[in-house]
Order: sequence, then structure tokens, then C-alpha cells
Amino acid sequence: MDTLKVRDAKDVEEVVRAAIANEQPLEIIGHGSKRGIGHAMATNAVLDVSALNAITAYEPNELIVTLQAGAPLADVLSLIDAKNQQFAFEPMNTAPLLGTPVSGTIGGMIAAGLAGPRRIKAGGARDHLLGAHAVSGFGDSFKTGGKVVKNVTGYDLCKLLAGSWGTLSVMTEVTLKVMPKPEAERTLLLRGLDDAAANKAMTAALGSPFDVSGAAHLPTSAFRTRIEGLGDIAGQGEALTVLRLEGITASAAHRAGSLRELLAPFGTATLVEDVASAALWATIRDVLPFAADGALGAWPVWRIVCPPASGAALGTVLARETGGDVIYDWGGGLIWAALPPKPDAHGPAVRERTNAAGGHAMLIRAAEDIRRTIDVFHPQAPGLAALSERVRASFDPKTILNRGRLTRGAAA
Amino acid sequence: MAIMMPASDQAVLARRAEIVAALRAIVPGEGVIDSAAEMRAYESDGLTAYRQPPMVVVLPDTTEQVSLVLKYCAGQGIKVVPRGSGTSLSGGALPLEDGVLLGLGKFKRIREIDFDNRAVVTEPGVTNLAISQAVAHAGFYYAPDPSSQIACSIGGNVAENSGGVHCLKYGMTTNNVLGCEIVLMSGEILRIGGKSAENSGYDLMGVITGSEGLLGVITEITVRILQKPETARALMVGFAQVEAAGECVARIIGAGIIPGGMEMMDKPAIHAAEAFVHAGYPLDVEALLIIELDGPKIEVDELITRVETIANACGSTTCQISTSEAERNLFWAGRKAAFPAVGRISPDYLCMDGTIPRGALPKALARIRELSEKYQLGCANVFHAGDGNLHPLILYDANKPGEIERAEAFGADILRACVEFGGVLTGEHGVGIEKRDLMPEMFSEIDLNQQQRLKCAFDAQGLLNPGKVFPTLHRCAELGRMHVHAGKLAFPDIPRF
Repeated sequence: MDTLKVRDAKDVEEVVRAAIANEQPLEIIGHGSKRGIGHAMATNAVLDVSALNAITAYEPNELIVTLQAGAPLADVLSLIDAKNQQFAFEPMNTAPLLGTPVSGTIGGMIAAGLAGPRRIKAGGARDHLLGAHAVSGFGDSFKTGGKVVKNVTGYDLCKLLAGSWGTLSVMTEVTLKVMPKPEAERTLLLRGLDDAAANKAMTAALGSPFDVSGAAHLPTSAFRTRIEGLGDIAGQGEALTVLRLEGITASAAHRAGSLRELLAPFGTATLVEDVASAALWATIRDVLPFAADGALGAWPVWRIVCPPASGAALGTVLARETGGDVIYDWGGGLIWAALPPKPDAHGPAVRERTNAAGGHAMLIRAAEDIRRTIDVFHPQAPGLAALSERVRASFDPKTILNRGRLTRGAAA
Repeated sequence: MAIMMPASDQAVLARRAEIVAALRAIVPGEGVIDSAAEMRAYESDGLTAYRQPPMVVVLPDTTEQVSLVLKYCAGQGIKVVPRGSGTSLSGGALPLEDGVLLGLGKFKRIREIDFDNRAVVTEPGVTNLAISQAVAHAGFYYAPDPSSQIACSIGGNVAENSGGVHCLKYGMTTNNVLGCEIVLMSGEILRIGGKSAENSGYDLMGVITGSEGLLGVITEITVRILQKPETARALMVGFAQVEAAGECVARIIGAGIIPGGMEMMDKPAIHAAEAFVHAGYPLDVEALLIIELDGPKIEVDELITRVETIANACGSTTCQISTSEAERNLFWAGRKAAFPAVGRISPDYLCMDGTIPRGALPKALARIRELSEKYQLGCANVFHAGDGNLHPLILYDANKPGEIERAEAFGADILRACVEFGGVLTGEHGVGIEKRDLMPEMFSEIDLNQQQRLKCAFDAQGLLNPGKVFPTLHRCAELGRMHVHAGKLAFPDIPRF
């Protein structure tokens, strides 16, 4: 194993150019917190960007922050929190789910593009990445986007970098949009709904004018293990459907009242506020019921995205067929499924059911031998897969960067 | 025409009759237009300073026809320029002499409204406003609202990543589209995304949005719809100095308030608009802000008070708050009519579209005033102040020799200043042909080559809308060439572990 710890963009260029000349693929890492996601890579040479960790510029009044890609996510979140700002897409902390000691870097956050519950209102990492400097698989530094929110100058390559798992370019510096933190948050809790009723309640809430910023459902099974930090909210372990309202205090309280009336046919909602509400949403964002150190820590976990109104039907059938547990976020549009251990992680069943629902499924947590058997990322239709491959090759024709991570068997 | 377009292919032009016949075999009846008189309607878009009749116009009405037309053109090496409603302000749909103009105007049907998934599946020729109208009965709307929304098509919105007054709070087109059906230049039909919040694999929808018709032809779009806010109210605030208005904008955002819209007009724009629509704008101020708050009534009332306090603290000289829908609409009437209002005080005007960091607003205005002196041309300024998007309107008279050239040079200097101040060449109108030759002000050759390589992944022959966006065209083979550097590990001093 050869690890090259780069100090600046010039170093990255040099390393990539040498890798091209030597036909030596590189694994790109920051803190390595998400190395367990994807397929094993065809290399033992590591390009480590964790020393590119400077906060280049933080301009709270412009609502932007410019960072080197290796800046630790936790530090950046504290920095902007001190100015009462946040990344509105609520990036997931993958550490509890994957059982890693750290939550990773800004570059990893963007390359993975795993948005939290507020995705339904504020969008994902792709919607908040305004500009980037990166080194392509040609060994050249390029920039895309800028430092302003409104920009249509040239192709929006930022969209491709977000969620590319390091297979297109090595990001060196990025500019992200930050947003003011809401003054208050209120969460309505409905207890005892089955998945189908919960999906209907969430659909009603998201179709209301009350500006819901979180809509999730934890079936009874999610409470099998005690979840730290939830306190009384966990109740007697009945299923819990939760709806979040954020904004200025008077408005959040008012909308919570209106939404409670709207949801009366589903039961009488109770209310949690601010700190307790935040703990609940962090639990959902980071999928704590399936944490690596919990009772289901050894189970493979799927992350399934589908049309939100079909969530319950898909989740229910998967849970029933496999004996697994599911959690719903994004109003039903995101399903986390922890399924009992099996050599194929129930891959064929998950993919068949997900395809039928018009969604896609990613095997976010599984042992390496399972990942050798099953495609981690959802297979695409042939035409789309071919276009995606041409797009990838337009950045990295020699497949130097994270070779084999996205496609099973490509490492060989 | 001041801008060079790719040289016409004489061999293609010589075969025009044969090409027209082949296209008629694909799109029967009136779907192929080849008479000079009828093609005149297509010779320019919203950037009317540039005109060029196409070789032939084709108006297909099915995806299969689009696919066959593109496949035929790809096979014959014929260029294609896609067009929606033709409202582009940057010349994105300017035809080519030797090119097929592919109009999507017949794709006018909304295919599906899905309230449960908060999505509308529509054909690209449907207007932006028609989508909102189709879902209004259930309290929904489609958020991006470019000022041409009555006429502009949703397909064009995707091509240009259109914005609008409300994109400060609700995002641009790219933040509000979920999926599409796209036909590549080869004729291949692909589906990307659907009703899910995000797609698997690379975010191709994201890069197609705003690609100005260079990557593919969109034949179906799935957009996200939202519930209409319960209410909206506006403040109209005047300032004796532009700097104070700029400070007010910064402090509102700094206070954590994201208004539904926050617009600024300078004195010449205020006067032109007031003379045109009599909205009751104060005429003795240097800058006017229109700030709209939307949401539940209780929230809007509270935020109106907070914004008013900030405006007073910034030294506002007038502050009116709307108390009815009629009054709110009146505040907006002048701003929305600003372009035609300026059209009344000047025979011609050029509308620019740069973006700057909000904080640079006073600096940018000062620069525009200097340039106005230098070029001896008037300039009225309207801005989407909340997101730093400037629309300087440069006044000129095309009948006076040299004025259009001076106006264009003035405009180019404004855009250079935007880049100098940390901003970008275009915020929402697109590069098209208008800002094409300014791209090197913002991007290096390496940056532009990477963008063109992406184009090659979609259209290896470079036949789809060539001459737009990129100042210099390269062959894909040339762009893909890898310059292999010395084959040794050349970094002995990089720390290893």
C-alpha cells in the first residue's frame, strides 16, 4: 500500500499525471470514512487529500463557504453553526451506520451526496454545490461553476461531481451555499400507524401549504433496540410518524397547529420542540436504528429511493419477504432497509421490487464478499449506462480515479 | 453580424432539396417548412439583433419523429438547432444557414398530473405558466417563474436553467426538475430519472439542465410542484443612495430572512417604469427595493415588521407596505414592465445578465456609471438583488452609426466587471452566442476543454447546436488526446505512508 498525502492542487496534478504515465489507478480518500461503500478498487495506491483541509473563505452575509476538499465535515459544521447557519440539505453522518470513527470530509460529503431529511424541501448536495476546482483524470486542474447562487455560465459540472464517488475528478476546493438555521422547529408525532396509513399521512402533509421540512416513519420494528437520545419520544415502541415544521417561532407553532388539524383523521398528534425534535431528526438522518454497534449492526443495509407515494407498498413487501426492518424518510421517497444476513443480501428481490416501483436501490452497507456478488449501485438501462460511461471517460479516459468502485467486476 | 458562426457546409446546402424530401418522409404534412417567407418567423429568437434563416424548419410531434430526424441528420452530417418558444435572450436558438431548425412547439400536452408524488409529467412545448395553471385548482404551482413565463416553454426552461423573481427562495429550474426523456443526436432515446427525489448514477439530469440545447433534445420532462404559499405581501422601499439599498439587502439576508423575491431598480429604471405603468413609485430616490415575503399570514406579518425595521435602520427614505393583493400587484407592475418601459424611452436597448456577490452591488453600480460616461450611452438597472443577478439595460439607437457597437462593448465591459468582482457572465439568460466570446474571461482553455469533452460524450460529431456557448470548437478526437508526461514518479517530496 502506497499512500500519497498531497498538500495542494499542484501535488494532485503531479500524482495523477504520474499515475496516468504508469497506468496505476488511484484510490481517492479524505478520512476514509466511506471506503466501505462501493466495490473493492483495483489498486493499492492511495491519493490522500486530508491535508487539503483549509477553510479558504467563509462569508456568512453572502451565504457561501469556500473550503478545501479535505476539510473535516464536523469542523465545518461547527464553524457555520457558530454563525447560526447550516447546510440546508442536512448531510448525513455515515459514521454510526458504517461503524467508522469519523464522519469524513467535505469532499467525501459531496462525492457521496447523501442528503438528510430536509432533501424534500431544500434539495441535495447537488443543489448546494456552487463551484469546484478539481483535477481530472487527464491530470489537469479545472474549475466549474462559481461563487454565486445564480449562474448558468457553461455546463454545470458541479452536478456531476456531486454523487460521483470520486470517479470523475479529485475535488480540491469547493464553494457551497449555506443557509440561515431556522429559529424554531416543531415536530408532530403520530403513533401507531401502519406503513400504508403513515405514507398517506405524510403525503397529505407534504401536499399541504404548511411547508413541511421533514416527513418520516419509524415502524414498530425500529424500536427493537433502545436508541440513545430519543428519550420519551420512543414511547412504548409503537410505530412513529413524524412531521417537521421549521421557521420563525410563531410560524412554526402556527403551522404545527394547522397540520395537526389536517392530520386529525390519522390520530391525535403530539408535539416535540427544538432540542428534542433535533435529536429525533438526527436519529432519522443517520439511520441510528440500524447503527453498526446496534442489534442489526451485522445486517446489510439498502438505501432505496422511489416515488414517495409508493414507499409504503415497496417497504412493506420487502420487510415481509425478507424478514427485515425498514425506515421511511422523504415522505416515503427514501427507504432504509436492514435485511437479515444472506450471501446475496436479498439483492435480486430488492432490485426486482424496486424496479417495479420505479425506484433505485443501493447496497450501502455489506461485507466485502457480498459486494463481490451483488451490484452496490443500481444497474442502469443499457443506453443510460453507456452514456454514463462516456461521461465518465470524458473526465478520466484511463480510469485512473477510483477504478471499479461503481461497477462490479470492473476492477478485475 | 458581429459574431462568427461555424462555416456553412456547402455540400449540405447543395443537397437541400433532397434533405427536405427526406425530412418530409419522416414528418409528413405541414411539419416541414422550407419556404423563405414561412421560415422568417424562425430566423431569430429573443435576441433579435441576430438573424439567420435556417436551411429548413422541422416541427415533429412525436418522440419517434424527433429520433428519426436526428438519426437522419447524424447520418448525413447535418447540423441541428433545437428551438422551444424562441424567447431566449442569448441567441440559443439562432438558426444556422446549413442547419435544420428543430422546433418542439407541437409537444404541447401535459401528460400526467400526480398530486400524491407532487410531480407533473409534461411535453417540452408546454409553457411555464400553463403548468402552474394546470395544477392551480389543487393549490399547487410550478415555482420557477421567468418573466417570459406566458410564452416560454418548459423545454426551453430546462435548456437554459431559467430562473425568475422567486428563485431566491425556490431555486432555479435545475432545483425543480426530476427527470426527462431525451433524444441524443444519434437518435437514441433515453429516460433519465422520474418521480423520485434523486436519480441513480451520475446526475445527468443536472448537467443536461442549462446545457443550452447542445447535449440532446428533450421530449418529456417531469417537474416538481409545490403548494402555493398561503399569502404574500410586499414592501416598496426607497433609498437616497444605492449603497444604502445594497446594505439593506445584505442585512435582510444576514438576519436569516430569505424573501420570496427581492428586486432593486435604479433611478433611470424607476422613472421609466413609473411613466409607463404609474405604480406610484417615488421619483426622488436613487434606488428602490421591492421585497416580497410569502408564507403563512402570521409569518409574513412578522417578517414584514422585521424587514421594515432593517430598512429604517439602513436609512430608507420611503417605505410602503402592501395591504391588499391589488396593491402588491401594483408594486410589482412597474418592475415587471421595466423592460418594455425602457423600450419606450430608448429606440433600442441591450439587456445584460451578470451575477455578482451581493456585497459587490455598490461597486458594480459605480462601475456601470463610469462605463456609461465612457461609452456615452444611458443605462437603466434592474436587479434580482437577493441573489446578485444584474440586468443592466443599455440604451442605444440602432439607426445611429456606431451605437450598437458601442452598446455591445459597454455590455462586454459590464460582464468583465462582474467576473472581476467575483461573479459570473450570466445568471439566467444563458451564454448562447451573446456571451460566447467572453467565456475565456471566466474559464481557462483547460476548463472549456473539459466542458467540450462532456459534449463529446453526448454528441461526438458536434452537430447539435454548434457555434453556441463555446468560442472555439475542437474535434472530439483532439480533446480526448492524453498528453502523457514523463513516466517516472516525479514527486519525491510528497509525503508517503
